Amino acid sequence: MKVNEVPQDDVPDYSEGIKKGNYALDDQGKYVMVPSKGWDVDELTNRLAFNEYKAKVEETRKAVLEGKKSPLAYYMELRQMIPKFLGKTAGIATFRVKRHLRPEIFAKLKESVLDSYAKALEITKEELKTVPHNSQER
Amino acid sequence: MSTEILANGRTYIHRTSAHCETGVTSALFCDKGFDISEPMIFGIGSGIFFGHLPFVKWAGLPISTFRSLPGLVFKKAAKRLGAKVVRKHFRNPQKGMDELRRVIRTGQIVAVTTNVYWLSYFPRRYRFNFNGHNLIVLYETENGFRVSDPALREYTLDCSTHDMERARFARGPMEARGLMYYPLSVNPNPDMRKACITGMLDSCKQMLKIPIPLFGVKGIRYLAKKIIKWPDKLGNVEACRQLAHVVRFQEEMGTGGAGFRYMFAAFLQEASELFESSELNGLSNEMTAIGDIWREFAVVSARIIKQKGQAEETFAKAGGLMMICAGREEQLFKDLNNVVRKLKA
Repeated sequence: MKVNEVPQDDVPDYSEGIKKGNYALDDQGKYVMVPSKGWDVDELTNRLAFNEYKAKVEETRKAVLEGKKSPLAYYMELRQMIPKFLGKTAGIATFRVKRHLRPEIFAKLKESVLDSYAKALEITKEELKTVPHNSQER
Repeated sequence: MSTEILANGRTYIHRTSAHCETGVTSALFCDKGFDISEPMIFGIGSGIFFGHLPFVKWAGLPISTFRSLPGLVFKKAAKRLGAKVVRKHFRNPQKGMDELRRVIRTGQIVAVTTNVYWLSYFPRRYRFNFNGHNLIVLYETENGFRVSDPALREYTLDCSTHDMERARFARGPMEARGLMYYPLSVNPNPDMRKACITGMLDSCKQMLKIPIPLFGVKGIRYLAKKIIKWPDKLGNVEACRQLAHVVRFQEEMGTGGAGFRYMFAAFLQEASELFESSELNGLSNEMTAIGDIWREFAVVSARIIKQKGQAEETFAKAGGLMMICAGREEQLFKDLNNVVRKLKA
């Protein structure tokens, strides 16, 4: 790749001003690091992954509103966790976390358990009991 | 470029880099008075690699890596350059934070491994649950730390104590467990030629000799064959999803372009000047050409994903490009092995 071939496709929503370093050859054939504003290809693959994540969060939010899952499931998806790692963060066994994803079991949880979940997920205990009624950015 | 005054009055010069770990390692060494470029660290630490791990899932999809294991580059480079280093994991977050504070108060800059999701200064769309971002902590501020993130910004940043603790001690795959590392002392006149030779031979070994078909050149072939079969096996939507995942590993995670191939070419060029060897320079040019094919693979993949696999660009073409990369890289590392054996330390 030559210096003038380093892609400079600016996608402000994606890069937010970050310039990635690219190694490229200058006129003398020497390698230099060239800051790149962004590349469409890279932006595309990131967008797919990011949209997939957002869709999953939204799907879980609807499932919670329909009473199929507990709010815990929504916040777990929002924080990009799985039961195993949510359990490790909150200090609760994985099989218990999986049970707590069911709304009827979640409703009977003790305050102390809710506290540790709220701390692990960076939200207040009140937030943990419900999900937002409209989809929102984190 | 920006400068910062450390706790003991020394100046730290912030420089940008293409990749987090090599950039951080280079900055740590420069801070100790031993000027070394990022590609040189990458080459000496044998960072170039390929691995496809179908059993290790990240975001539900298999990992394809273009570099050696996180942390290895620093370890290997330090050993080969004769630097004394400290690497520490912590079980207790409080102890980990206290130790970090203790060390930066002495004016020693410290590199930490963090989880990107919890770093709020990161752009929103980069914040995925990935436990392997390295950055340098410079000194304490009123409500947090001043950090230098060479792979991200051209200036230094503030990071709150809370962010730092969560990011360092996040649980997840490949968790950092509060890893912090820094050199105690760096040999001011190391045997660069010997270090380069060891690094290059080790790279050849990693790419050619691992007897598992998921790693090195064999791994590239394995993945290329899989890509060709994906549309029949998984259906178009899922195949596009997986292909995008591969391209993300190649380009998104700060690789200097083409999954570290350009960075390795830059290293070979620097080494050719060190050894005054025209053969190494030739290999650098070949590596650049291979990098260009990797870029083409990314472009073709993007077209496939955009048109959802309907028209002329096919998975067979993308897989074919990867096959070419595998063949040429195999030849390159064989040649490199022969050339390096003739060099004198």
